Amino acid sequence: MSACKECIRRSWLLGELSRLLDYHRGELSTLLKLLALNDEALINFIAGSRRAELTEHWERFELDDPEVKPGVQTTCMHRPNYPRALLGREAEPRMLHIIGGRERLAELSAKPAVAIVGSMRPTDYGMEMARSLARGLAASGVTVVSGLANGIAAAASAGALEVDGPTVTVMAGGVDVIEPAGRRDLYERVIACGCVVAELPCGFPAQRWCEPARARTVASLTQMTIVVEADQDRRELLGAHAAQALDQPVMAVPGQVTSPASRGTNRLLMEGVPMVRTPADALERLCGLRSASPEPPPLEPDLQAILEHVGAGRDTPGKLTAARDDPRETLLALSELEVKGLLGRGDGGRYVPRESLTDK
Amino acid sequence: MLARVKTFTIDGLQIWHVAVEVDIRPGLPAFTIVGLADASVREARERVQTAIRNSGYALPMSRITVNLAPADVPKIGPGLDLALACGVLAASNQVPPDLLEDHAFLGELALDGSVRSCRGTLAIAQACVEAGARTLVLAPERAREAMLVQDLRVAPVQRLRSAVGVLRGDPPDPLPAPEDHELAGAGVSETELDLSDVRGQDHAVRALVIAAAGGHNCLLSGPPGTGKTMIARRIPSILPSLTRPEAIEVTRIHSIAGDLHGRLAQTRPFRAPHHTTTAVGLVGGASKGRVGEVVLAHRGVLFLDELSEFAKSSLEALRQPLEDGRVAVVRATHSTVYPARFMLIAATNPCPCGYAGEGARCRCSETDLARHRRKLSGPLLDRIDLQARLEDAGSEGLSAAPWTSSQNARERVIEARERQAHRLRGEAVTTNAYLDLQTLQQHSQLDQQGQQMLLDAAARGLLSARGQNRTLRVARTIADLNGRERVATQDVGVALSLRPETGLRSSRAA
Repeated sequence: MSACKECIRRSWLLGELSRLLDYHRGELSTLLKLLALNDEALINFIAGSRRAELTEHWERFELDDPEVKPGVQTTCMHRPNYPRALLGREAEPRMLHIIGGRERLAELSAKPAVAIVGSMRPTDYGMEMARSLARGLAASGVTVVSGLANGIAAAASAGALEVDGPTVTVMAGGVDVIEPAGRRDLYERVIACGCVVAELPCGFPAQRWCEPARARTVASLTQMTIVVEADQDRRELLGAHAAQALDQPVMAVPGQVTSPASRGTNRLLMEGVPMVRTPADALERLCGLRSASPEPPPLEPDLQAILEHVGAGRDTPGKLTAARDDPRETLLALSELEVKGLLGRGDGGRYVPRESLTDK
Repeated sequence: MLARVKTFTIDGLQIWHVAVEVDIRPGLPAFTIVGLADASVREARERVQTAIRNSGYALPMSRITVNLAPADVPKIGPGLDLALACGVLAASNQVPPDLLEDHAFLGELALDGSVRSCRGTLAIAQACVEAGARTLVLAPERAREAMLVQDLRVAPVQRLRSAVGVLRGDPPDPLPAPEDHELAGAGVSETELDLSDVRGQDHAVRALVIAAAGGHNCLLSGPPGTGKTMIARRIPSILPSLTRPEAIEVTRIHSIAGDLHGRLAQTRPFRAPHHTTTAVGLVGGASKGRVGEVVLAHRGVLFLDELSEFAKSSLEALRQPLEDGRVAVVRATHSTVYPARFMLIAATNPCPCGYAGEGARCRCSETDLARHRRKLSGPLLDRIDLQARLEDAGSEGLSAAPWTSSQNARERVIEARERQAHRLRGEAVTTNAYLDLQTLQQHSQLDQQGQQMLLDAAARGLLSARGQNRTLRVARTIADLNGRERVATQDVGVALSLRPETGLRSSRAA
């Protein structure tokens, strides 16, 4: 059953007010307060010279069928299949456009869900961590929610898709506006496996206020937010701040103290946010149980030693061969680890561990 | 009366025999040249007339007609001057015309009657034998080049007068004294760059020795300032020296291109065209059949620095030479096949700014990275067998001892090449780089464990089908370097760690 007229009108109104909302994008709390207002109050508060015109249109709003676009469905807070997680939140989105099926979204949002957020310019370490966390969580049946943005968000979706796991992607603009355009492939794979949702009307290009608005939708859809890698400025930490504004648990992945890309996450950890190293850490916090994941088979001591070298930052073939006696054996071991899927190659030919080291 | 003189003209790498026919008959004084002569040949009229007068001969005041046969081949360059002058002298009975039969002439005339040398001497000397001339008369500077050809008498002459003397049976002028490097013979010349200058790049140098041993094309990657170009320039020093037939082949090409002066090539050519070079500049076929960089790199090294900055069309043009070892150039006026068997060394930064993988130091956007990767994933890169990664050596690395010297590396390379040549006797190829699938399977004798490793790597998405063959070829070379008859698992492992990262399956292409 598609969304009711009032909720569709709300979505239309947000689109109309988009330019004006952009003035308030800077402060997350202000934006959330605005989004919590009802329609009349919102028009009164920010519409300015367009107030009369918008009020008139709003009063005589004619229902365009938003499902006119093939594949796009809608749902709203007045419908039984609306994600329960969204109800009762501060400034919750009132309706969603969905590609991938209303029922599928209801099903995905009924599961425990985790948001994976972070930097748009991560390091290879961040990419691999996002991917392996998402993969592990999705494999345990947790829905992974993220955006389509470059960096951590895309890596998280890709990680969940590696195991065909449940995943929801929230678009900043219209649900059919693929932004960034280079992620079309990922977008289509998400649709095949999970859902893509958006609050704004179809065809609506994202404005800058849509980023924080999306961050709140991502946080609202989940029970917990994991920040994988983020520098300390506001834009990088947007996901974390949105979750904190909604009083939702946040976890952070530690990074090297010397890495600027981890300044934000390390600061969160210092402020007392729990640390997450493996999917098991996140599952423990989410469901309160230590998962009984099987211990990985022990590695040969040689391979284990190399893996530890790489984890400790000696991650280029030159450094690795210099650190050990026999270069040929070292290269062979590196190839074996790659074939086993325990090492990947990042930019510039650096090796990146693909799973975090387990406690002994 | 009529005289006929032999000379030659150059078209690309091809040498055409040109018969210069000079006819003098009474009439108003005139000097006409017909037969597709280009501007420099037509200007020869002035040089020839003045040189004849200044050499003390008489210029007939009658109608002189010169025909250059065959009439449909374009005649290029000033090398025809000497033949023209001798033809005029013979036609005016100042030289006995019947003596011209056995002689061919090559040289540009100065106004005072002295003879200047011309490019392409070696190739012309070879053509001379085929055309049935027993003596080649030319300027002394490049005469040594012509002397490399057997069954040919080389008569160096400094002036037009001496050329006429040679026709009459006088001894030719003496050759200039050979320069020092020519006396040294075919050894490694003193000025050559040595691998021992390279510090702290052991891993990359190791990869390059493997590339040189198997003749594999190789990609050098690393941040700016780590020494990609420096290392690439030292590759000719670890390649086996040219065999005599190869040296003659190389000398011929470079002599025609005009960048070699009268001696046999000793080191393998190293060509490093700038990244703005066009496709035509690379493969050749610009005006007058100029050869391209790939032909000049024949039997040597073609180094493409900043590979991702090359135009797509330029890189595409390299596919045929890389596949076939030759390049067929078809243009409006001519079509030619040039030899082009070279080792390709490409160098690239890991990303446009050069610091990818170093966290915040890299300022490239996702789009920049994607574009860079796309540039490096073309079909050209399919022909590259291994990738040598350079990294910031740091002060520690720079003060470390060099890993090897060119001398040592070259000995290992030669040994591995001999092993290959022995194993591949009877096959069409001599180095592992050119092994086709069938021969490769037959010669690798891979053990069970190594086979499994290749299959696992393919299953993991690390290798494409073609990538498996490349890895196996490199593994074969590593085994050759280590003196092993069979390819072991270790060799496969090392080859796998050196595989080029050419696909789009980077960690960021999520």
